Amino acid sequence: MNAEKILGLFKEITSGVLIEIAVVIVVALLVIWLSQRLLPWVAEHLHGKQRLLALAMIPTIRVIVFIVAFIWIVPLVIEPSMQNMVAILGAAGLAIGFALKDYVSSLIAGIVAVYELPYRPGDWIEVEGTYGEVKHIGMRAVEIVTPDDTVVFIPHLKLWSNLIHNANNGGPSLMVVVNFYLEPEHDANRVKHLLEDVALTSPYVQLAKPIVVIAFEEPWGTHYKLKAYPIDPRQQFQFMTDLTARGKQGLRALPVKFAQLSPEHVVQATPC
Amino acid sequence: MAQSNHWQLIPFENFERPSAPASTVIQQAWSHVRTLFGRTDSDETEDVAQDFPHYREFALPPAVAAIDAAWQEATDAPRVRFVISAPFSGTGAVLRAWAEQHHYRTITPPSIAQLSSADTELWWQQQQVGDRPWLMDEFSSFWLRTTEHLAFVRALLPRLLRGELGQGVVVIDSWTYAFLQRAWPLALPHCYCFAAATPELLQQVGITASDKQLRKLTAQARGNLGVALALWAVAQSSDKRAPSLPSEADDSTAFILYSLLLHHGLQGEHLQWVLPMLAADQLDVQLLRLQQHGVVEYDDQVWRVTAYAYREVRDFLSGRGYWLDAF
Repeated sequence: MNAEKILGLFKEITSGVLIEIAVVIVVALLVIWLSQRLLPWVAEHLHGKQRLLALAMIPTIRVIVFIVAFIWIVPLVIEPSMQNMVAILGAAGLAIGFALKDYVSSLIAGIVAVYELPYRPGDWIEVEGTYGEVKHIGMRAVEIVTPDDTVVFIPHLKLWSNLIHNANNGGPSLMVVVNFYLEPEHDANRVKHLLEDVALTSPYVQLAKPIVVIAFEEPWGTHYKLKAYPIDPRQQFQFMTDLTARGKQGLRALPVKFAQLSPEHVVQATPC
Repeated sequence: MAQSNHWQLIPFENFERPSAPASTVIQQAWSHVRTLFGRTDSDETEDVAQDFPHYREFALPPAVAAIDAAWQEATDAPRVRFVISAPFSGTGAVLRAWAEQHHYRTITPPSIAQLSSADTELWWQQQQVGDRPWLMDEFSSFWLRTTEHLAFVRALLPRLLRGELGQGVVVIDSWTYAFLQRAWPLALPHCYCFAAATPELLQQVGITASDKQLRKLTAQARGNLGVALALWAVAQSSDKRAPSLPSEADDSTAFILYSLLLHHGLQGEHLQWVLPMLAADQLDVQLLRLQQHGVVEYDDQVWRVTAYAYREVRDFLSGRGYWLDAF
């Protein structure tokens, strides 16, 4: 009796329906596959905002294709009444929820990620101490590539409870901070102006963005932070290297001495 | 009947680029897509720049007359006027002709040592200007984009604005001007430039074509007369194409092209100072490759972007998010 009731929720599945479902699934997968191959390739030939826009279209296209395919297929299988939908989807949801809690949580977080945009392809993010560029946002996990060229897969469910640090938040602007540690006896204003010029004359710098120098007095000397933006976030490490190399050269020429930590300020690597 | 003069010197803030016809916009978009998908013809090494048809020089007197017309009406003439010059626009040549006509003394740029020392007083004494008005026509040679060679221009600009150096005209390259707005963020007063080239002006300098073609040409050249003449010269030559960037163009190529535009051309040694992170051999390879493609030329020990490639180079830098000139 119960089995008959349950079967009554479904439509009669004919071979025509099966073929239609198969075609919808194949076309959906094909569109997703094509978008995941074509758009990254196009993005590699673009720069700045255009590149990020092309990359951001990948997860959006996937969600749209999934929704369209779902709306297409469900009425082919289930009698589209509210009672039927609630019964079947509720039962399926409960079963999947228990068996694959984390997986489903990641899938849902993946959909939330598309709309809440905590990260987009092309963003530079840090999750639990791992920093890298978002290369691909999958259904279950986000794929980032670290500066050491290591691919790290981070499940979307980290979104629920972890802090996601996004350095450029969908834009081409990403701040780079370079530190200089100097002995305390020097003219701080001269150093500040020099470091500003070091950033201003760097070929990597985005001139449309501000350049800031901040100084902190520490027990061992003066700590300077030079903050500026590269033209392309992908150049951030070359930019840091350029600022460090030319900053050191300029400071030596001033001349300013670099701080040498005295033994009492050296942090012990292992507990005594 | 006297021919009307279509040259116009205008306040810099009034400059407007000619709008592009729809067909030009579509053509530019198509060209962008072709670049994106990798043109096969761009991989072929182009003939060297010298093989391009040399674009026509235009007559300077009408442009000189336009300067007189713009400035003679001013009763309270400012001590120093700035004229912003887009690359290849011919503004420098026009101002030199105007200055010669009005007996202005042409100022020579400071030496590299003077750029470092920022001793503007000694340099100015060497100019022996006296009470004569003067013309600084090579302002892009008054600085280099290094920490050591910015001080001179920063010391000079306040002196110019305070009127300490007397009456004169400074011709600033538009890319240098764009950088100075960032490096010395005080707006320069009394800035002028030539109005964007119109179809009538193109006809005046000798280009004979339909009005539609001329409008298309002014839009393609962004109102820059020299670039319009170069594009026209290439278009008239059946066996030549405008140079295109090599398919290997990368970040280093962008750094080099941007530096050359910022300084209106640089000697190889100075280019190395400006781009110290590029190894000398890497720099040579890039420059020679760009030269082979007709994008840069080497003349009188100075590397420069060619007029024929200027539009493509500007688009290339714009696509990469560089800080561009206002033209």
